[in-house]
Amino acid sequence: MLYIIGLGLADERDVSVKGLEIIRRAERVYLEAYTAILLVDQSQLESYYGRPIILADREMVESKSDEILSGALEKDVAFLVVGDPFSATTHTDLALRCRQHEPSIPTRTLPNASILTAVGATGLSLYSFGQTVSMVFFTDTWKPSSFYDRIAENASLGFHTLVLLDIKVKEPDLKALARGKIVYEPPRFMTVDQCASQMIEIEGERKQGVCANGKLAVGVARLGNADQQIIAGTLEELASADLGRPLHSLVLCGTKMHDMEWEYVREFAIDQAKFDSIWKAEYAGKG
Amino acid sequence: MVNFTVEEIRGLMDNPVNIRNMSVIAHVDHGKSTLTDSLVQRAGIISAKNAGAQRYTDTRPDEQERGVTIKSTAISLYGSLVDDEDLKDIPIKTEKNDFLVNLIDSPGHVDFSSEVTAALRVTDGALVVVDTVEGVCVQTETVLRQALGERIKPVVIINKVDRALLELQVSKEDLYQNFSRVIESVNVVIATYFDKVLGDVQVYPDRGTIAFGSGLHGWAFTVRQFASRYAKKFGVDKNKMMQRLWGDNFFNAKTKKWVKTPEEGVERAFNQFCLDPIFRIFDCIMNFKKEETAKLIEKLEIKLAGDEKDLEGKQLLKVVMRKFLPAADALMEMMILHLPSPAVAQKYRMETLYEGPPDDESAIGIRDCDPKGPLMCYVSKMVPTSDKGRFYAFGRVFSGTAKSGMKVRIQGPNYTPGKKEDMFMKSIQRTVLMMGRVTEPIEDVPAGNILGLVGIDQFLLKSGTLTTSETAHNLKVMKFSVSPVVQRSVEVKNANDLPKLVEGLKRLSKSDPCVLVMITDSGEHVVAGAGELHLEICLKDLEEDHAGVPLRISDPVVQYRETVSGDSRMTALSKSPNKHNRLYVTATPLAEEVAKDIESGKINPRDDFKARARILADDHGWDITDARKIWCFGPDTNGANLLVDQTKAVQYLNEIKDSVVSGFQWATKEGPVAEEPMRSVRFNIMDVTLHADAIHRGGGQIIPTARRVLYAATLLADPGLMEPVFLVEIQVPEQAMGGIYGVLTRRRGHVFEEAQRPGTPLFNVKAYLPVNESFGFNADLRSATSGQAFPQMVFDHWQILPGGSPLDKTTMPGKIVEDMRKRKGIKPEVPGYENYYDKL
Repeated sequence: MLYIIGLGLADERDVSVKGLEIIRRAERVYLEAYTAILLVDQSQLESYYGRPIILADREMVESKSDEILSGALEKDVAFLVVGDPFSATTHTDLALRCRQHEPSIPTRTLPNASILTAVGATGLSLYSFGQTVSMVFFTDTWKPSSFYDRIAENASLGFHTLVLLDIKVKEPDLKALARGKIVYEPPRFMTVDQCASQMIEIEGERKQGVCANGKLAVGVARLGNADQQIIAGTLEELASADLGRPLHSLVLCGTKMHDMEWEYVREFAIDQAKFDSIWKAEYAGKG
Repeated sequence: MVNFTVEEIRGLMDNPVNIRNMSVIAHVDHGKSTLTDSLVQRAGIISAKNAGAQRYTDTRPDEQERGVTIKSTAISLYGSLVDDEDLKDIPIKTEKNDFLVNLIDSPGHVDFSSEVTAALRVTDGALVVVDTVEGVCVQTETVLRQALGERIKPVVIINKVDRALLELQVSKEDLYQNFSRVIESVNVVIATYFDKVLGDVQVYPDRGTIAFGSGLHGWAFTVRQFASRYAKKFGVDKNKMMQRLWGDNFFNAKTKKWVKTPEEGVERAFNQFCLDPIFRIFDCIMNFKKEETAKLIEKLEIKLAGDEKDLEGKQLLKVVMRKFLPAADALMEMMILHLPSPAVAQKYRMETLYEGPPDDESAIGIRDCDPKGPLMCYVSKMVPTSDKGRFYAFGRVFSGTAKSGMKVRIQGPNYTPGKKEDMFMKSIQRTVLMMGRVTEPIEDVPAGNILGLVGIDQFLLKSGTLTTSETAHNLKVMKFSVSPVVQRSVEVKNANDLPKLVEGLKRLSKSDPCVLVMITDSGEHVVAGAGELHLEICLKDLEEDHAGVPLRISDPVVQYRETVSGDSRMTALSKSPNKHNRLYVTATPLAEEVAKDIESGKINPRDDFKARARILADDHGWDITDARKIWCFGPDTNGANLLVDQTKAVQYLNEIKDSVVSGFQWATKEGPVAEEPMRSVRFNIMDVTLHADAIHRGGGQIIPTARRVLYAATLLADPGLMEPVFLVEIQVPEQAMGGIYGVLTRRRGHVFEEAQRPGTPLFNVKAYLPVNESFGFNADLRSATSGQAFPQMVFDHWQILPGGSPLDKTTMPGKIVEDMRKRKGIKPEVPGYENYYDKL
């Protein structure tokens, strides 16, 4: 049996009791460590679980999944995923492989908290979120701007947009990769201010006003942890905000923002008066 | 020798109208360096310690030893016209009779053609040297073609006339006919590469664009010089006289009449007035007619110094001829009058030199040769300094003024405007004058001049553009006529020396415009050159100089190209590692003409895509929509493989374009069959499915997938191997011809042209010979013809290696592939397409 176990968002103790029991008795335990990371390091996890953990990087999961699945037919293998296993990840592929295996390997999934739901802590209603998008690190030559179209679609319906931010835990350096060599880049995590700046940059190209300087947004960091941080303001304000260590996410508010949502979010505002006046002028009653 | 201070030379530089930048080009052994010597001895500006030594521009010991030029070398000369009146004959208004002539002596051996290319780039005119006896040879044609392609104006000297007189004992009329034939064949080449903007640049003796002479004896003349002498005597206009001294013009001495057809007892004017005095001098001196000699010398107003009077035979002949018709005078006159100054040349060269729009500030600076414009300087090659491992960047200022200490943008060949790649901001440490063996520091160098730069060698691989303008595009990257098709691997004898070898290879790569240095995956160090000789010289430099450690060198091997000979059997599909992105691609052969046009630069990745699509549609029958959707060229963004987008309405496609292009560059650089570069393959992207979110389709997902799908498409399209083929030109006397055929047949070569040189017993044989079969060809040929055949080999084209599929181990191509794979340390079997193909 392959157990795909969600670990939650913050630290080693967010795992469910059921999950913990499986981890303790499984033959091997893998930790997927590239679509998201916990706020604590591996050794802390190992000492709490009382088990050694095998770190599974992107290469192992995507290209050497046989290694993970070997023996899973007879024994239990635990595959730990930070957050929720099938939220904002590409692990359907692994589950699919189990199904296609001859004979097929049974799998079981243990859900957990995900940023997709935890973002409700901002006070914005999960009922009013549109499509989720990701923001990647721009390079000089690669500035994918299709997220803009998704946000525009959401905005046209008055929906909020959750923007997930790029993390590069162990990604190959592309220049070296194109020469046939694999050299890993140092880990990098996108911050709210970088994301806001890139959104404003693309606004400069598209000019439809979807990510204009004055649009209201909420930045969140380390949700679910003791030191979680939430701030609200215009995109321009967020572009110079510092939310400390990773992981960060950003929500761009839609015009459906209800009075109750506003009342809750305004407590996080960098400049409350400004926040209120923009909401009143451009959001209130427009949804 | 004229002794000038740096300040005086600097003074000359300010006047572009009085500058001539020129290269001396020719077939090997037609006497370039010797001819250059006679100019240097007379007009060299800064005297070197051993001035007067032979082959002044051959600065390397091995050049002196072998008597063959390997590197091009620059030298500055001071020139003036004998008669101030002649200034009027210069097409552009010139006031001062002081000229700075920057001359670059270049190698004649085909293996070093890239040096010629580098020399031509920084000059505006060329002195083409042709041997009277051998005439126009393969390399004469190659260098002439290159010169005309760069819009460089030629003048010609027919050299080694002394040989015709002394060895072949020809008559005056024979010699005239011989000259006409040589001139005609030069003009045929020039006419073939006619360029509208450059206009008619064919050469004519009666216009003064051809000289005749002997570099070895130090004499030469133009028809114009004789015309000046006789114009006074006959009391006719000089220009009219020039017309009469060439072609079918005859002078009847009795009736004192000019006629157009030969009559009994009437000689051709050229023979009578130009050749006769020379023939008489030769006759008198070589036949020891002492009295007549004395008379003749007096009549020609030649003054001999005391000890020179005692000389006899050849020695006396040299002295007399040198004083009668000094080579330097004839050449200087020809170069000053007929070669363009930078002020003139840059007007019409700008559009072929500059990649950017013809109306930006850099283009205008180049066009006007403006010393106050933005700096535009092209570095065409690197010259080693006495400081080991450091190089002077050698180049030409086309616009602005290069100063010591100036901060400049150093743009490499891959720089694209607006981006930061391949670009450095650095200061020029020093500017120097390059003078053969010596350099002299100079404060600054204005537009139109040739210079050396210190302190930028680390930032440029081989060549590049220096500028002060932020918007400047590159000066066009040079296209070489030779390719590095022969390679040998090197390893150190002593393992501790490895770092020295690595460093040495870096230096070697810098010091030669053409050599390629690679490290394979198995850690093998490979050096590739244009031919056996080129490679031999490079490796010798590496061992003795750049690395300075003992090396073990493998036998030469050939670089192949991987290609396809059919269409992919089915559309290849590959999925990204996360399985959320899928690419569908087919491969198909590119027409040979298209591949050739890409390699010659006629179809250029940097051209406007609409203009390029027009050429592909009109000349090569491409579908115009396809032709406009070429994503890129590869390998190295300019190779002869194309990636064409044939998808319809795929969302986010432009967001993965860069990654697919990277994968394409990688795949075309190392093909699936033997990790050799690919050539002449067109890849069509048929369809693409992508994850909606950018984060799941970044470069890490797409680049390897693109490579895999291209590999699969290639393997599904009957892959083939292409081998390089040399064009061999052999000069051989008739009786030794049989030997040539035998040797060629044994080596899979074949003769396609055979022609006798008029007036000689020599035959000119042209043949194709696979490069792989060319190792040791020279020695083989020499023994088969008792040393009477002299071959010249230059890379000509690629051909499919015959004998079957390279995937089948039992065929010859299959064996070659297996050997190559073993040598590269990869598993001997070619992986099947299934390794790169994913099922739906």
